[in-house]
Amino acid sequence: MAGARRAHDTARGGLLAEARFLASLWRAGLQTAMAFRVAFVTQIVGMALNNAMYLAFWVVLFQRFPTIGTWGLRDVMLLFGVVAAAFGIAVVLFGNILVLSDVITGGALDAWLTLPRPVLPSVLASRMTVSGIGDVATGLVCFVLAGQRSPEAALRFVVAVVASATIFLAFMVIVQSLAFWIGSAVLLRQTAFNAVLTFATYPLTLFDGTAKFFLLTIVPAGVMGTVSTDFVRRFTWPGLGQLLVAAVVLCAIAAALFRAGLRRYASGSIVLAAD
Amino acid sequence: MTAATRKYGSIFTAQLANGLTYPLDLLGRALSIVVFLWVFLHLWRSVYATDGSQAIAGLTLADTLWYLMLAETIVLSKPRISADIARSVRDGSVAYQLARPYNFVLYHFSVGLADAIVRAAMTALVGGALVWALVGPPPPASGWPLAAIAVLLGWLLDFSMSALIGLSAFVTEDTSAFDWIYSKAVLVLGGVLLPLDFLPEGLGSVARALPFAYTVWAPARVFVSPDPARFLALAGAQLAWLAVLALLLAAAWRWAIRRVAINGG
Amino acid sequence: MSSNRLADSGARDAIIDVRGLAKTFQVVRKRAGVSGSLRAVLRPERTTVDAVRDLSFAMADGELLGFIGPNGAGKSTTIKMLTGILHPTAGEATVLGLVPWRERRQLAYHIGTVFGQRPQLWFHLPAIDTLRLFGRIYEMDDALVRRRIGLLAEAFEIGHLLETPVSKLSLGQRMRCEIAASLLHAPRLILLDEPSIGLDVVAKQRIRDTIRDMNAREDVAVLLTSHDAGDIEALCKRVIIVNHGRIIYQDRVSALKRTHLTCKVVGVLFAERLAEPFAMPGVDVLKAGRDGYGLKLAFDSRTTPVERVLAQLVAAGTVVDITITDPSLEEVIRAIYEAAEPDGAPGEAAASTGLGALDAGP
Repeated sequence: MAGARRAHDTARGGLLAEARFLASLWRAGLQTAMAFRVAFVTQIVGMALNNAMYLAFWVVLFQRFPTIGTWGLRDVMLLFGVVAAAFGIAVVLFGNILVLSDVITGGALDAWLTLPRPVLPSVLASRMTVSGIGDVATGLVCFVLAGQRSPEAALRFVVAVVASATIFLAFMVIVQSLAFWIGSAVLLRQTAFNAVLTFATYPLTLFDGTAKFFLLTIVPAGVMGTVSTDFVRRFTWPGLGQLLVAAVVLCAIAAALFRAGLRRYASGSIVLAAD
Repeated sequence: MTAATRKYGSIFTAQLANGLTYPLDLLGRALSIVVFLWVFLHLWRSVYATDGSQAIAGLTLADTLWYLMLAETIVLSKPRISADIARSVRDGSVAYQLARPYNFVLYHFSVGLADAIVRAAMTALVGGALVWALVGPPPPASGWPLAAIAVLLGWLLDFSMSALIGLSAFVTEDTSAFDWIYSKAVLVLGGVLLPLDFLPEGLGSVARALPFAYTVWAPARVFVSPDPARFLALAGAQLAWLAVLALLLAAAWRWAIRRVAINGG
Repeated sequence: MSSNRLADSGARDAIIDVRGLAKTFQVVRKRAGVSGSLRAVLRPERTTVDAVRDLSFAMADGELLGFIGPNGAGKSTTIKMLTGILHPTAGEATVLGLVPWRERRQLAYHIGTVFGQRPQLWFHLPAIDTLRLFGRIYEMDDALVRRRIGLLAEAFEIGHLLETPVSKLSLGQRMRCEIAASLLHAPRLILLDEPSIGLDVVAKQRIRDTIRDMNAREDVAVLLTSHDAGDIEALCKRVIIVNHGRIIYQDRVSALKRTHLTCKVVGVLFAERLAEPFAMPGVDVLKAGRDGYGLKLAFDSRTTPVERVLAQLVAAGTVVDITITDPSLEEVIRAIYEAAEPDGAPGEAAASTGLGALDAGP
């Protein structure tokens, strides 16, 4: 027994261990999802069709009005594709992002606090939202339909999607971490969720001045959507820079806020609901 | 007849009071409409600017925004008729509800109407204030009663279709698929994201031939251009569809009762 | 409380050492609705709750320690502090030499938890998949994980259960797998909460055997919290009872039963009707069968020795059947709760039922 006991004393944290752990979480999530074949397929197809309806709206609109500002159908389609793929990847791999504030106020963090793993990634990755696969599929189809055919464009697409997914996740973590202080944050979460996704799927050029600033900072839908899509269309250093800075800054804020929230959680003074 | 109205009337008013005890829920819907309308304003401002014309299919930018305000209000205030009925069928409580001295379906209609009114009032208030600030005053108040009637007819039409889906729980395990199809049909063919008048000829006539358009597009259109001729045409179509669906619903209900009586719920 | 040090537990080191631990909560009462939420943020109504006050105890390496108390007694708060989930308001504690709330992750590599009401095995997957996931959680390499799984499967006889989806297992089988899973990384301390909840008598017994086995085989210390006094009675040598955030009792289970309720209940069946009704000073006749064949007696074995009662009974007639029952741990604990004063300090009454006798040594 002694051998077993001491064997893992040398292994402590580290990115590789964390990556292997997340991989096994995702494997378990996928296996669980596939245990229900019909539901698995229905959710994916359903979401893809759902997205198709919204694309249909754009198709109809552009039939009647060939351009809106400087944007044509292909531009909007690419935009939609980037946002859909980013959202899809985010909720497939980190599905608990959709209900993080509930996890916090429901005391479900305790189970993760008894394990030797960083809390936030573990909580987020322990659930897989299958319908997100439909969103990723939609994203890929849109990318193809938008006419970007080169391998460089595909690479830029991957970078853009990963950046946008990170921005979305970080934003939602920031909003939902407020639950550590204000208790149930369901309304806040729903509004933030609606806002960031709705705004992201419309071209940033529709907005001006303060609205534009708002969508590039407070609710980073403009970065998640238009800035990201512009990068897919054409590589620019400023474009890449904006994406990376946004992703890194938001992640830093999210991590710091969540950590502060955990400290408050550990002091036991989170808000309880009245009986 | 009056006993019946009194019965459903009291169910209705009870639910009205109930609806007001969930302010956070109402606030959530109101915030959703703010997000949508704000985006729509920017979108349509750009469309009109690019197109260069003051009016498209007879609607100005202001008209379009007020149209979308009412359309979104209707959609965001929808009660869950089909979900409530389906749940009642699935857990068997429908059998108990049959013993009550009122009609099961009409009960859900009364409750649903109360919910819809409370939510619509809040959403329209907030949405309306926003649109007023953005594009100017709403269509003249003289037309509002006509719009209200169209909204009411639209709701009844929506409830009927929703109730039919709910009753399908007697034969299918999961009604959520039908729910989803119905909501997408309303989205695409009901004029939620843009007035049906903007659709190309073919698609437009298809949409106007189906009942979905009369739950959202018809009331919102009347609201924006409340001339009597248009009102009569659209309300007429609403009533026609309502008659058809009422018959279908009545038949479905009779069939459902018989099924409960035979199988015991 | 002379037994709160480990003098009589042998020379084993303390793996849990708690001194003066306390936790006070500032609870903000939030009322429903928007106004309630606003009020909670702007002008919060705070009440102070002393969940744990001045708790001190120690646990030896490899020990099976029971930790019981009614709801709201501060049990789960204490457990949370020992695992580092909560920071205490006062006091110190070390678990396996680490300060839980400062070295939470370090400690986590060496402890395991099983919560009866919050299963860790993924429901729709075979247990073995969760085991492999646990291997990754504790950064064990794959060969080691395979070896451990083999060992545990054999020890707990769950080999044939591992490949079946957990949802298809019975509750008892699931619990055995849960317990095995908690041992994968060979922790030195396991926290077991309500392991036998919802199980039938046979399954309960099996689980208790499993726990006892695990304690012996793996040399792992077990801190057991349970509402089922039977679990404690069957498994633990020592028990700590908390109420109102304080320890109101701390000693070996045997001592607890021996010194606390010394009431014995005796049921007797005679061959023939008794000549005269049975009576004896110091003995209460609870029930006398109308036909004179049966008797149910109660007496305090400290004042009236068992031998004397038996002698009297045998003299009274031909004893065909006899049952002598000890008070259940349930009754003992209830007596202790009642004896303790409302703020948790053991009261005068407790001393008279034998709590004070502890100072004289078991």
